[in-house]
Order: sequence, then C-alpha cells, then structure tokens
Amino acid sequence: MSLTVARAEPSVAGVGDYIELMKPRVMSLVVFTALVGLVRAPVPVHPVMAFTALLCIAVGAGAAGALNMWYDADIDARMGRTAGRPIPRGRVMPGEAAGFGFTLAAFSVVSLGLLVNVLAAALLAFTIFFYVVIYTIWLKRSTPQNIVIGGAAGALPPVIGWAASTGTVAIEPLILFLIVFLWTPPHFWALSLYRTDDYARAGVPMLPVVAGAAETRRQILLYTLALTPVGVAPWLLGYTGAAYGITAVVAGSAMIALAIRVHGETRGHTASKQMFGFSILYLFLLFAMLLVDRMSGGLFGHFVA
Amino acid sequence: MKMSGIMEVIEQAEGGRIKLTPEQLCARRARSIAIAFTLGAFVLFVFAVTVVRLGSGGLAGPDYMRPVEAIGRI
Repeated sequence: MSLTVARAEPSVAGVGDYIELMKPRVMSLVVFTALVGLVRAPVPVHPVMAFTALLCIAVGAGAAGALNMWYDADIDARMGRTAGRPIPRGRVMPGEAAGFGFTLAAFSVVSLGLLVNVLAAALLAFTIFFYVVIYTIWLKRSTPQNIVIGGAAGALPPVIGWAASTGTVAIEPLILFLIVFLWTPPHFWALSLYRTDDYARAGVPMLPVVAGAAETRRQILLYTLALTPVGVAPWLLGYTGAAYGITAVVAGSAMIALAIRVHGETRGHTASKQMFGFSILYLFLLFAMLLVDRMSGGLFGHFVA
Repeated sequence: MKMSGIMEVIEQAEGGRIKLTPEQLCARRARSIAIAFTLGAFVLFVFAVTVVRLGSGGLAGPDYMRPVEAIGRI
C-alpha cells in the first residue's frame, strides 16, 4: 500500500535532500584523502586534470552514499542518528535514491575513465561496488566484522588519487590505504559503544551488540596499537620528513592513551566520545601533514634523515 | 494518512492530469534548475578537459593504438 502512495504522490524532494543523500561529510573526507594521494604522487599533474579526478571521486563517493541510504532505509528509520535522513523522513522515495545513485555511479566512473585514466576509473568502480554490495548489502547485516572489512572502501580514495596522477599503484598509497583501513575500526567502534542500543534496535550486528562492550574496548585498543606504527611508517620508510613523523608519533601516542582510557572505562561513555572525536582529528592531522610535507618538499625531515 | 494521500492525489486530478501543489511545483522547479546547471557545468567541464588534453597531446592515446609510421614520425 505504501508503495502505491509513494508512486502516486509527486515528489517534494528538494536539491538539499539529494545533496544529503550523497553524505557530504563522508564525501569531504574522501576528497581530502584522495587529494593527498594525488598530490603525494611523484608525477606533476595538470590542475584541471587533478580537479577532474577529484570531482569524479567526489561524485562516486556521493553515489555510494545514495545507494547506501537506498538499501539501508529500513535500518536508518530505526536509528536515532539516521532517522532524519531523506528517505526515512519521506522526502525522497527509495526508487528515486536508487536511480540517483546508479546514475551518479555510472557518470563518475565513465567520466574518470574517459577523462583521466582507466586504472583510476576501475579502482573507483571497485570502491563503489565494495561499499554498496560487499559492505552495505552483505557484511553490515551479517557480521560484527562489517566495518573492519568494509573499511577497505573508505581506505581506497588515496590509492585512486595516486592512480589518477600516475596511472599506477605503488607502496606509498598502499600505506595510506592501510592507515585509513586500520583507523576505521577504532573510530566506528568508539561511536558504536555509545550507540549500542540504536544498533541493537536496528538489528545491526555491531561488535558491542554481538560481543559486548568489554570485547569492543579490547579490540579498539588492539587496532589502535596496530594503527600507530603504520601511521608513522611513511616517515620511517623515508617518504616524508620529520615534521610528519613527529606529528604521527605525538598524535598516535594520544590515540593510544585514549584507547587505554576507553579500555579501562567501566561507567559512562566519556572516553569513547573523546576517542571518536579525536580519531577524526588524528586522521585529518596525518593527511594534512602529508600534504604539507609534499608542498614544502619534506623540508624539515631532511635535517634528520 | 496513506489512503488520504491517495485520495488527495485523485481529487487533485483534473482531466486525467495531476495538479501539483505549490510545494511540489517549487520542488520540481528547483530540481529542474539544478539538473540544467549540472548539465551545463558538465559540458563546460568536458570542454576544458579536452582543451587541456589536446594541449598536452593526451588525446593521441597510447602507442599501441596508432600505426607504426605515425609513432615513428612522433
């Protein structure tokens, strides 16, 4: 019955609703990490081509976001954090979101392939496929490892940026991939610790729902311990200067300190909320320093190296 | 709510055509303008990229797609 109404009622969706479908905050992180991958590449790239690549990557990320909201509309409606999204609110019909997402996905991949290069387009297509099919449709509803494996989709943009610039993939962008990949679990598990009821109500098997808060806190600490040395790796391997290295060591130490606090927290979620907030700053700092390092030619570092 | 939604749409129909509410008309106009703007920007964008690629010889494509004599001349 509701489907009949959905088709009978002319749409009242505004431009803002469609922008919201593209998850602009996630998109900004994707564009930023892709920009770092693109700029870190050792090949000069024409500004127009760089802009083209970033625009296609941004639109591809928006497509993945819209398709995620289309498929997860039932889950979103049951969670406080996502109940205000355009589909649960009734502003955009699920079919409209799906059409919008598929159109953007096709446009972004084909444009990136024709205007930049085929490898970058193939990686973008794989990222959208991985996020929508592997993460959203398959893993999210079936395993507490959903965000661990699904995190690969969010970690690929620096590799796409590098590929857009060079037409190849090398060790350095794979390290950037690994940083985002290992950052994702502690970031989302910190959030899920204080949103456990939301996830349980929606039937999403996040780690705190399935294995409990204590195990989640332990996993956050383990992943943070693995993340920190990988965060320092670009400096240790000689890709960056000391300014990046010092930032990665200091920010990584703060991440570990917060993870230890989260691990020891028995009441309330103060440490978890701090961990969630700081993890965003941590990733931003690392990638911003990678950018600064490239712009300054790794100036500081070569004093030490 | 759902049934009344259908009834409203049916009642709004005049001569087989649905009469849009001011809110629906406004939303449709905004979407149309956004699509027009996006398509226009896309055309300009492709033009700009083509100019850049022509300038750098990028449209010549990879060597394996060109005759051997042409590669020799380049």
